[in-house]
Amino acid sequence: MPMIEMRDVCKWYGPTFQVLKSCTTAVDKGEVVVVCGPSGSGKSTLIKCVNGLEPFQSGAITVDGIEVAAKGTDLPKLRARIGMVFQHFELFPHLKIIDNLCLGQTKVLGRSRAEAMAKATALLHRVGLDEHADKFPGQLSGGQQQRVAIARALAMDPVAMLFDEPTSALDPEMITEVLDVMVALAHDGMTMMVVTHEMGFARKVADRVIFMDKGEIIEDRPTDEFFGKPRSDRAQLFLSKILSH
Amino acid sequence: MLPDIDFNVIARSLPYLFRQGMSFTLTLTALAALGGLLLGTLLALMRLSTLPILAPLATGYVNLMRSLPLVLVIFWFYFLVPFVGQVILRADRPVEVGAFASALITFTLFEAAYFSEIMRAGIQSIPRGQLAAGYAIGLTYWQVMGYIIVPQAVRNMLPVILTQTIILFQDTSLVYVISITDFLGAASNVAQRDGRLIEMYVFAALVYFAISFSASRLVKSLQMRTAIPR
Repeated sequence: MPMIEMRDVCKWYGPTFQVLKSCTTAVDKGEVVVVCGPSGSGKSTLIKCVNGLEPFQSGAITVDGIEVAAKGTDLPKLRARIGMVFQHFELFPHLKIIDNLCLGQTKVLGRSRAEAMAKATALLHRVGLDEHADKFPGQLSGGQQQRVAIARALAMDPVAMLFDEPTSALDPEMITEVLDVMVALAHDGMTMMVVTHEMGFARKVADRVIFMDKGEIIEDRPTDEFFGKPRSDRAQLFLSKILSH
Repeated sequence: MLPDIDFNVIARSLPYLFRQGMSFTLTLTALAALGGLLLGTLLALMRLSTLPILAPLATGYVNLMRSLPLVLVIFWFYFLVPFVGQVILRADRPVEVGAFASALITFTLFEAAYFSEIMRAGIQSIPRGQLAAGYAIGLTYWQVMGYIIVPQAVRNMLPVILTQTIILFQDTSLVYVISITDFLGAASNVAQRDGRLIEMYVFAALVYFAISFSASRLVKSLQMRTAIPR
């Protein structure tokens, strides 16, 4: 059974503008799927539907067998099991790094402070930021903040991770440090859905690539096939534009 | 000819002025500020809510309070609440609320309208992504508000909140209309009794100035220290 499954997901903004058009795909346990496409194609909206941050009007999404949009679904509980990393990090600026990692653990999972601290410390070590535990987010660089954001999501022991353009807001020299953490995570067998323009990352770790345009999933194929010869003109055009330099 | 000035009257009445008058003024200020901030935050959340009825209800309340003179509200509550209580409790006679309780309720309700506008601006100043990030780790709406949005909003708005509290400190002197002895009332009592109007009113002005001015300086230095590093 797939970890994330979407069937005919449609979403409209207002009565006329359709951002998602019958999107159907699935992500298996341990699979890494990269979602790419031109800006405004609905990639971010699509993955925000997975943890219910964006509502959708028709279709269905299930995560680990639980239907996201069903009436009886405990959304906070479901979201606690899905990690999410945002383009602009969204660390909590009034909390120390260590408390950013502990908040969800203690308030949502009910872990003790000591337990949460131990987990947080281990994760900070994993993303190479041990010595920054007592700093505030504003004192870290963009790349460091994004690694903290990844650690914050991992602190909840998620069954899957969603990445919404995790490197788009970073200075070029900081992109690698974040991608390295993500590559390591992929190798550890995490189920990942990644919206990104980093095609190097996609080639290296993605099992499949989804190409979206104008709210539609145009291609959904194994990575080698996608980069070898995209079937659609639109994907070819997109790749030629972003791979040309 | 110079008027006959006797500053000894101040020294003689200091215990009365501060132990009774000022302690009442400060108690009322602190409690009303706290209550106003709590109720104001709730009103702000109602105004920002997408649920039906809540927003117009809060907006109506805020507009009503801000359109009435404070003195009128103080009077209104003092004279009307006993009758309202009588009707609600089906009592034989008007319910005694007491001047202090009446003043506290009035100031809390009145200040809440102002604090709610401050908190609304503060909450709206927090990026939408913070809400999403809170939801994403599994927090509920109230947890996101309580742990993430409101703490940041309060910190961003702290200077304005404290400035509003200084204004409240000065406004509490209006309780004289319901014959409560606050600091100004105490000074006034002594002034009338001893015929020392000039001395006592000059002294009262100096005390209000000293407290308000040093408080606003304090706000300024606090602002520097509590700013969240970004």
